[in-house]
Amino acid sequence: MVNLYRRMVNGRKEKFQWSASFLHLKQIRLYCVEIQQFRFYTNLSGKIFMKKSFLWFYVALFASAVFNLNAHAQQTRPSAYAITNAQIVTVSGPNVARGTIVVRDGLIEAVGESARVPADAVIIDGAGLTIYPGFFDANTSLGLSAPVAPRPAGQGGGQAQIGQPQSTQPQSNSNYPDGLQPEESAIERLKAGEAQFETNRNAGFTTVLTVSREGVFNGQSAVINLAGETVSEMIIRPAFAEHFSFVTLRSGQYPTSLMGTFSALRQMLLDAQRLQENRKAYDKNPRGMRRPDADKSLDALLPVLNRQMPIVFNANTQNEIVRALDMAKEFNLNAIISGGQEAAKVANRLKEQNVPVLLSLNFPKRTTTASPEADAESLELLRRRADAPKTAGQLATAGIKFAFQSGGMTSIGDFTTNANKAVENGLSKDAAIRAMTLSAAEILGVADRLGSIEKGKIANLTVSRGDIFSKDKTVTHVFVDGKLFEQKEKPKTPTPTATGGAAQPAATAAVGGNYSITIEIPGQSLAGTLGLTQQGETLTGNLQTQLGTTPIKDGKVTAEGFTFTTTVEFGGSTFDLFVSGRVTGNEISGTMTSPQGAIPFRGTKIP
Amino acid sequence: MKKATVFLLLISINLISLTFASARSKNEILIRNATVMTAAKGSLENTDILIQNGKIARIGKNLKAASNAQTIDATGKFVTPGIVDCHSHTMMDAVNEFSYSVTSMTRIRDVLNPTDIAIYRGLAGGVTAANLLHGSANAIGGQNSTVKFKYGKPVEDFVIADAPPGIKFALGENPKRTNFNPAPGQTPRYPRTRMGVMEVIRDAFVRARDYKKDWDDFRAKRTTVQPRRDLELEPLVEVIEGKRLVHAHGYRSDEHLNLMLLADEFGFKVATLQHALEAYKIAPEIAKRGTGASIFADSWSYKLEAYDSIPYNGYILWKNGVNVSINSDSNERMRRLNLDAAKMMKYGGVPEEESLKMITLNPAKQLGIDKRTGSLETGKDADIVIWTAHPFSVYARPEMTMIEGEVYFDRSRDLTRRAELQREREALEKLDVNRTPGSGGTPPARPSEHRQEDLDEADGGNR
Amino acid sequence: MKLRITNYELRIIKSVLNLCLSVFICGLISSAFAQSDGSQQNQTGKAGTFAITNARIVTVSGAVIENGTIIVSDGKIAAVGANVTVPGGAERIDAAGLSVYPGMIDAGTNMGLAEVGQGAPATIDVAETGDYNANAKAMLGVNPHSSHINVTRVNGITTVLSIPQGGIISGQAAVINLNGSTQNDMAVVPMFGLLVNFPRITLGGGGFNPFAQTAPIDFGEAVKRRDQRIEDLKKLFRDAENYAKAQDAYAKDKNLPAPAPDLKMAALAPYVRGERPIIFTAERERDIRNAAKFIADTKVKGIIFGGQEAWKVADDLKKNNIAVIYTNIYNLPVRDDDAYDYLFEAPAKMAQAGVKFCVSTGDSGAEVRDLPYHAGLAGAYGLSKDDALKSVTLYPAQILGIADRLGSIEQGKIANLVVSDGDILEPRTNVKYVFIGGRLIPLTSRHTELFESFKDRK
Repeated sequence: MVNLYRRMVNGRKEKFQWSASFLHLKQIRLYCVEIQQFRFYTNLSGKIFMKKSFLWFYVALFASAVFNLNAHAQQTRPSAYAITNAQIVTVSGPNVARGTIVVRDGLIEAVGESARVPADAVIIDGAGLTIYPGFFDANTSLGLSAPVAPRPAGQGGGQAQIGQPQSTQPQSNSNYPDGLQPEESAIERLKAGEAQFETNRNAGFTTVLTVSREGVFNGQSAVINLAGETVSEMIIRPAFAEHFSFVTLRSGQYPTSLMGTFSALRQMLLDAQRLQENRKAYDKNPRGMRRPDADKSLDALLPVLNRQMPIVFNANTQNEIVRALDMAKEFNLNAIISGGQEAAKVANRLKEQNVPVLLSLNFPKRTTTASPEADAESLELLRRRADAPKTAGQLATAGIKFAFQSGGMTSIGDFTTNANKAVENGLSKDAAIRAMTLSAAEILGVADRLGSIEKGKIANLTVSRGDIFSKDKTVTHVFVDGKLFEQKEKPKTPTPTATGGAAQPAATAAVGGNYSITIEIPGQSLAGTLGLTQQGETLTGNLQTQLGTTPIKDGKVTAEGFTFTTTVEFGGSTFDLFVSGRVTGNEISGTMTSPQGAIPFRGTKIP
Repeated sequence: MKKATVFLLLISINLISLTFASARSKNEILIRNATVMTAAKGSLENTDILIQNGKIARIGKNLKAASNAQTIDATGKFVTPGIVDCHSHTMMDAVNEFSYSVTSMTRIRDVLNPTDIAIYRGLAGGVTAANLLHGSANAIGGQNSTVKFKYGKPVEDFVIADAPPGIKFALGENPKRTNFNPAPGQTPRYPRTRMGVMEVIRDAFVRARDYKKDWDDFRAKRTTVQPRRDLELEPLVEVIEGKRLVHAHGYRSDEHLNLMLLADEFGFKVATLQHALEAYKIAPEIAKRGTGASIFADSWSYKLEAYDSIPYNGYILWKNGVNVSINSDSNERMRRLNLDAAKMMKYGGVPEEESLKMITLNPAKQLGIDKRTGSLETGKDADIVIWTAHPFSVYARPEMTMIEGEVYFDRSRDLTRRAELQREREALEKLDVNRTPGSGGTPPARPSEHRQEDLDEADGGNR
Repeated sequence: MKLRITNYELRIIKSVLNLCLSVFICGLISSAFAQSDGSQQNQTGKAGTFAITNARIVTVSGAVIENGTIIVSDGKIAAVGANVTVPGGAERIDAAGLSVYPGMIDAGTNMGLAEVGQGAPATIDVAETGDYNANAKAMLGVNPHSSHINVTRVNGITTVLSIPQGGIISGQAAVINLNGSTQNDMAVVPMFGLLVNFPRITLGGGGFNPFAQTAPIDFGEAVKRRDQRIEDLKKLFRDAENYAKAQDAYAKDKNLPAPAPDLKMAALAPYVRGERPIIFTAERERDIRNAAKFIADTKVKGIIFGGQEAWKVADDLKKNNIAVIYTNIYNLPVRDDDAYDYLFEAPAKMAQAGVKFCVSTGDSGAEVRDLPYHAGLAGAYGLSKDDALKSVTLYPAQILGIADRLGSIEQGKIANLVVSDGDILEPRTNVKYVFIGGRLIPLTSRHTELFESFKDRK
């Protein structure tokens, strides 16, 4: 379902069925939900269902499409390419040692040893080149604008922002706080423009599953192509799955603990179930019954509950994966594991529940040097590093469906490097290719149009000189939706852009300085010093308490304040603290959230 | 070539651990010629215990076992039931849900971490079962999980399926203290006084009573619209119905008595008073209600509320007929609960077997798992500790700890394994992935500084 | 160990003791004062001449006397042996079936400095503000009427080292007997040693000015900073030596310009001159090694406090005559990979390696009474029973420099004695009599009093 507008304008490939039929009430309900949030929905056979009440939006979309088409019409672009004499890794069928692929109007028109080269095609001599289906990154945050800083619901953002620019994004009117809003959707935050994808595309990636990593509910993910000047051009599936993280809310609101996260999810699912049932009864006979709430957050959970939409649990450790599987079992959800570093340890459970894995290739790395003064690393850590590249092979052996994803790696070049490590550790090369092409397409529900090189499929192709897993390979050509992106030169060391773009540089608060703070652990105050060094939106520094001094990580400054994480050691264990706060004059205040809960702190600037 | 060697070495290590696991099969086991302290029917000298399919099949002299049975010569050694710790936060990835004063919807079961090394260290101290409780930051906290320490098994194996469910309450200073310092811009959470704590609990039970009525009406078809399922109130309804045990953290005698009076009013029984440092002041009132007390042997003075805590607490309660258990509330203290039980003989003079019961059968009763564990009796789970000496001797050391006939701690195996782990470490450290140079180093782990950090609420974490 | 007190310190002690006395009198007038921090009037016991007869006497320093007599007179052990004549007028205590031990000594507590850990900060006098407090003296903070004192001594612990904590130089620790109405009554060695928290690698920060660091530091940087802090400490020690030298010179020759007085430097002087020991907190191998080197370099008298991995540094410790006050029996191993008994067996390993050590609770006060079980647990994990007993009697006396007066049952020593019905390290053993400084101590405490009040409530 590429370039919807183009097909609509041409009107030649698909018939559109405008339907408000209530014959398939359940089906329609689902579509309505999606339409409500995502404007349109395409089922696998390519038919589009629309609800009349959303006609206005359709019209708007149409208008913008025409506008964009006109804009595009000014660029001239060849309508057909033929890559000849290349090795073709079709993935779905046997490899072609020396053959031709013809690309026309965004689709693969022909493929094979004897495919005919059309007269109007631009010919690329593929001698010495290998053509793969365009690679998938099965979970990223590519293309998404930065989130708004979390704030407590119902408080309008607090009082400390007087005189500071307000966020431009309107606050949600959900009944649920920021972070517990499953209706959040990736496409709402998707930024237009294909330039942002250059690094990833140059590395051979043509399609990704993108979703926010914020909140307990990350919201609904989208499958997008890494090309297209408009958002609508990029979208392949606007709402693939609901994504869920085992984290707590950072605003100090329930849930502040991992336990609470589970309870909150459970209660929301139960409430959604009830809403659905009440609505059914009400639709039958509204008289004498209080009308069911229109609750957009609960509504967003209905397709998940009804198994029409998968739920992706971000789960890396064995414990997390087991917890996700337990939850899926409890509510009969269609689950997918994302991350899955220790998935092989629970292969039997994954198999039993038929749960696929979006396996992260962001393998743990040793970043520290051995110093005679340093502690020996823990066995667990040593084992984890040694085991990470084995997981893929073990999953393959166990017959568990999986696809590769970048998992937040800082350099996208690690993707194929680490996929190759998986190959060195027991995964067949074919399976590795499949995990970044057809398997991903299958898990993401787009295998009928993507993931392999077949006639009629979308022309997403990655062409390389040299085996894609070899160190000295070069990605020479990338086709996305039939559009050719040629490599101007061998890509330099990719810049860290694997997981999504930077925020619009809004005015940021000034928070740098040293602060004497009091951490208000109930019943006993813990004194400390917070040293903050600000460089634009980046924050570095450290937190010093009697638990020691720890560097701050992922420090960010927004218009509202700052956030960072730090890891403290206490009683022999380490705890990740998420810290958010703001500075007003010489006063600093905020919250430190750990798995144990949220604790406020405040303090003053040290002159 | 080098890589291959390392790989082979790794495989062989894995094989060793596999054999290690399969050696723990559920065959017949005969423990021979021990002093068996049953915690139910006295101490039996030169006595054998026969274990079949994880259960205690027979206890007696000169027992015969099948020829392929594993025989453990325990001559000169002492055997006790596995220790049951009635207040623990071991293997929990979260302890408190701070946000609300009532967090009965949270479940410890959701956050169990079966890989916590503290479990193993507890086993090495003879602990086989524990009551994993939510923290004490909330007047009504989360739902407990009663587990056996089956270290190495999947998490679902830990949970004692037929243990009655429970819930944590907390009275007095802890739920108050949590509200002293609200986050910036937020109003302080109610309550901040003991008055308020009682009102929070009353309010919750009033709501639970209404909720129960809604459901009763619906089930009796007096109403048509199904009530909303409320995960906060459901467990409280179970409390009212006597299906869920209340484990109530508290220090002062007045707060515990007030809770029992409120329970009288709502028609339920408090299962255990946790910590109950001043329970000795209201021992008759506790005894009358059949409520249990789960106490520290002798912790005191770590906070103002603990200033009237006395080591004679256990004795006075026992003398009044209260079911007393001694808990650790600490991964450290858990390892020496046997010595805490011994202290009961010293302070007041609780008889030996009654003292032993305080860490075995009594907590098992408080948790409703005494049908399967807590004493050495035919038909019960073979949850057993073999000690080098009388378990109340400071020189005694657990040699072996088993749960349902499977060995989860064996000191001799532990000693052998140290060398194996060292070899594994050396092999792993040679791998490229563990050798990548970079800047920085592994920061030294901070030495543990004070054991009181582990106490229920002394760590500021409101455990 | 010889006690040397400078004139200046004597003045301070005198004036403070005077102050204490007047405070005490005030306290009598307004008893609420003494009780406001939870303390109680301790009963100081009965003086006189006592004869403990028919006793099994565990002298610790010598052989066990299976059936013997101890004469207690004038606060001292007047006689001990199998054939000792009981003087006329002596109060007889028939100890048939009982054992007599020297009173146990805990060389690592905050006894009397910390009453109620949480919710009553006014009862806590452990840590002075600031990093350098060489002049802070535990002796002047100990509350003789702390309810911890009675609770502790009735379990057979009669002497403790009470130490200040916090900062880099925390202050001076005092050896006290657990009996007396005033601090002076209790003092055994009022200014025994200086507590220094030896610099160690922290993830950043630390250092002399905690506000000076902002940037996150990497490990190499952390090592550098630790080294810098050690250098700074060395410099401070040199400064103190120079200060003392100047003061001495001025004392001899008043024509010299008078050096400006500095209480902190003055307090450091006897320690940096090696006249009294410095107690360095250090747990891990590398830190203990560094501390040992520091001790050797600065030629001070050193003791290691904590000492989790001291057995790994045996050579350095032995070479420099450094003893270890081990406080980690009731602690969990730090690293997941540590053996489960890592901290239980450390005393046995120290004994094996020939390191001088004693076992201590490291407790703030309330749980010091568990001292015998700390030693006993070390006994369960490899330490001989004999060494386990010595680790809480004679060894701490030696480390605290009071072995000429305490730590064993010998004629002429201070009569700190415990009469029990069994092995003193066993939790089931009951203490029957306690003598401190020759006074027969009543076996009462806050706990027995509350017990009496409530045991028969119906």
